[in-house]
Amino acid sequence: MAPKSDVWQGTLALMVLKTLETLGPLHGYGIARRIEQTSGDLLSVNYGTLYPALLKLEQEGYVASEWGHSDNNRKAKYYRLTRAGRKQLAKEAQEWDQTTSILARFLAPGEERS
Amino acid sequence: MRHLRAWFLRLGGLFNKQRSDRAFAEEMDSHLQLHIDDNLRSGMSAEEARRDALIKLGGLTQTKEIYGERRGIPAIETLLQDLRFAVRMLLKNPGFTVVAVLILALGIGANTTMFSVVRAVLLKPLAYYDPDRIVTLASFWKADAGKGQVSSPDFHDWHDQSSAFESMAYYGSWETAATAGTATGATAEYARATLVTSEFFRVFGVSPEFGREFSADEAKPGGSGAAIVSYAYAARHVGEAANALGKPLHMAGKTLDIVGVMPPSFSFPDRTDIWYPANTIAPETESRGAHNYRVVARLQNGVRLQQAQAQMLAIGARLEQKYPDSNKGKTVAVTQLLDEMVSNFRLTLYVMLAAVGVVLLIACANLANMLLAKAVARTREMAIRAAVGASRSRIVRQLITESVLLALIAGAVGLAFAFGGSRTLVALAPADVPRLDEAAIDPNVLLFTLGISLLASLIFGLAPALQVLRVDLNTSLKQSVQRAGGGSLADRMRQALVVAEIALSVILVASAGLLIKSFVALQNVELGFRPQRVLVVGTSVPASDLVSAQRATRFFKQLLPEVRALPGVLDAGAAMAPPGHAASDGGYWIDHLPAALNVTAPQAVFSVISSATFATLGIPLQRGRDFNDGDTYEAPFTAVINEALARQAFPNQDPIGHLIFCGLDSMNGMKIVGIVGDVREYGPATAPSPGIYMPYEQHPQPATGLSILVRTSMQPSAISPAVREKIHELSADVPVKFTTMEALNSEGVAAPRFRTLLLAIFAGLAVGLALAGVYGVMSYVVGQRSNEIGLRMALGASQSDVLRLVLQQTLLLAGAGIVIGLAGAAGVTQFLTSILFGVKATDPTTYAVVVALLMLTALGASYIPARRAMRVDPMAALRYE
Repeated sequence: MAPKSDVWQGTLALMVLKTLETLGPLHGYGIARRIEQTSGDLLSVNYGTLYPALLKLEQEGYVASEWGHSDNNRKAKYYRLTRAGRKQLAKEAQEWDQTTSILARFLAPGEERS
Repeated sequence: MRHLRAWFLRLGGLFNKQRSDRAFAEEMDSHLQLHIDDNLRSGMSAEEARRDALIKLGGLTQTKEIYGERRGIPAIETLLQDLRFAVRMLLKNPGFTVVAVLILALGIGANTTMFSVVRAVLLKPLAYYDPDRIVTLASFWKADAGKGQVSSPDFHDWHDQSSAFESMAYYGSWETAATAGTATGATAEYARATLVTSEFFRVFGVSPEFGREFSADEAKPGGSGAAIVSYAYAARHVGEAANALGKPLHMAGKTLDIVGVMPPSFSFPDRTDIWYPANTIAPETESRGAHNYRVVARLQNGVRLQQAQAQMLAIGARLEQKYPDSNKGKTVAVTQLLDEMVSNFRLTLYVMLAAVGVVLLIACANLANMLLAKAVARTREMAIRAAVGASRSRIVRQLITESVLLALIAGAVGLAFAFGGSRTLVALAPADVPRLDEAAIDPNVLLFTLGISLLASLIFGLAPALQVLRVDLNTSLKQSVQRAGGGSLADRMRQALVVAEIALSVILVASAGLLIKSFVALQNVELGFRPQRVLVVGTSVPASDLVSAQRATRFFKQLLPEVRALPGVLDAGAAMAPPGHAASDGGYWIDHLPAALNVTAPQAVFSVISSATFATLGIPLQRGRDFNDGDTYEAPFTAVINEALARQAFPNQDPIGHLIFCGLDSMNGMKIVGIVGDVREYGPATAPSPGIYMPYEQHPQPATGLSILVRTSMQPSAISPAVREKIHELSADVPVKFTTMEALNSEGVAAPRFRTLLLAIFAGLAVGLALAGVYGVMSYVVGQRSNEIGLRMALGASQSDVLRLVLQQTLLLAGAGIVIGLAGAAGVTQFLTSILFGVKATDPTTYAVVVALLMLTALGASYIPARRAMRVDPMAALRYE
């Protein structure tokens, strides 16, 4: 098994936003687990690093939070996507697509012009 | 936008720290619970489930740290933390803090005060429309690089031939008797009247607030004339300013209509009350040699001063060629109006500003020394902080925060000083400093105070910070508190600072010493007359032509015997101007007039006086006779000359009986009938000049305004009511004003007195601070070396040996400071040369006194530490080792 890579700083926010879009309001622990699972356990989130990222997103107005109760009735802080967050997600996802496709073209073998 | 929003939230995060700390803890708690629940479900033991959850979460403290940084703004939080700590440090040592703040506040306050004055007088733009374009034009004599007034023909040529100016005008200003309004029985009062040519108001870009400017008819040569009055004058004499329009104004024997009132902000020149068109009340003087007017102009938009100057030089050269008799060697100087107005005070004010700057530097050096001592004492504290993880930059930042805080507090206190100081300074300053009354603590001054406070904190905070950077933490931690010396670097810095303090003090004290010596010399100068107990009564009889002028002389002829008869009056005379305040001068010729009057004739001061004036003033009559009642307008003209003129014009010859000519009012030859002692007619700082005295009855036109001089046997001012009564008995149209000869002389030296007093105060401050500096360092040295001293005494050194030890070190420091200071003073005092009198900038006596004074100060300051050293108990020192 390949060593797990740390979550790359800038992408964490994008993953959080995408998670919230897919799953709806969710608490920090849930987000962390979801990111871990989606990556097929290739990424290990040091769960703690998630919270400053969440705080930053909240300060920027992309997510909002409120206290609620989990399925097994634990008190937890739920994060949900705001309208601005949705827009930001669309924008960042598109940028990401573009970046990866450019990089992919660079790295594709045998297409160098002679 | 998003970023801005985030920053605001983070800024807010600085304040509800506790609440959000709790919220974060709760969130972490809930996170762990959820994770543990999950783990339990997947079959872990309770112990294992908790452990796994904690591991997965990562270092909780680290998370909290990162989270905390994200929540607030770390730099500001550190700053707040540093500030809180700094406040605690300052509060912990209230004595230190108070002394430090006071020393610094004194320096900052003095600088703020001085700057508020410099800004008001020198730096602030004039309150006219586009003031940078307003210039003055003056006659410029190439031979002695002297500037002077302008003759009317020269002015007209300048005006007509130049293109660099949008407008140009001449003016002349004088004090005269004037009565405003129609009320009968109104007594005449002194007013400042200024004659102006038509473009005068355009130069300043002002127009009347009420009414209008002069019409072409009113302003044409020989025209009816009219008056525009200042807002203040209108308010004073007719109540409501707008009501002044159309009211008559009696002045110089004429009646003018008031056609305009200027806005309150305009009173150029010299707080003018009344402006009237030139060439109406009296015709303008038509000789190119009669320099009776001043010229102002407004530059064309976009024309620079140098361009205008170049054009005027060309015009000046043309006039030189065309009129060699009157204009040879004469050209034109163009100067910015502001520069011209403040030229007399610029040097004095900048010298004062430099002096307070030096005082502040010394205060900073003192403070640096105090902080350095504290930094050394805090070495262990710093070492401990470094050991538990504070970076050096963090510790230095902490120290800088303390310095800045100290400086800002001192700045605030200094500002409070400056409010009072500014007022005191204005009261002390000579009355004729322009715009001084505008000195105030305005935003610019506040900015200046903030600036110098921060600059000061940089200067005095540097030494302790450097010291911290150099300290070896390991050795500091090992050493005990008492012995944790900052090492030789701190000691060297302390000594260097004291040397700098002494050197700066030497410069200030030497400058003050030179000024004091000048001032004493100025006070002791032989004026040529006795100013004690002489009342000076200014009078002005309205007159416009020979007939009315002769009426004026009859008034004085009647008045003088009555004044002499008053009780308490020893003698009385009258003169066109009080002695020492020459009002008129020009060329003179002996025996006969040359065919063409050239301007190269020798020059003399012209005085018009009554009989008994010499006796009243104590001017000795050396030969011949005084004027008497026989010297009337109808009698042959007579004159008295002074010894300087006799020496100049009659070497080895008896002047009595020769004729003398001068152009005061007529070219009649005057027979010299007497010779009197010399008077310093241009004030005490100028050597006596040749002088011609003429009897007032023979020169009625210059004699319509005379100063009555009364020598009394009591306080001169005590007889002013009686004199006023006598004058008003004779005529209600004559305004009077009283002063004394001594007060006039004192006004004459107001500027030197002002700068001498201020510099002496600053020098005193400097010496006081230097004294404290030397005391501080020597106390410290003695404290540090007390063990060594004790050992020496145990080994047989006597008390005098110990004394010598301490004094030696003091003398070394003081000597170094004095030598450096003397070198500095030799350079700096060169700038003072132009304001020194009777003493050279290199005066050895002054420097000897300065050296002695500072040596004594240094020795005095080390007296207490030295005594402490002598009392060191050898046993205590031995036990300590």
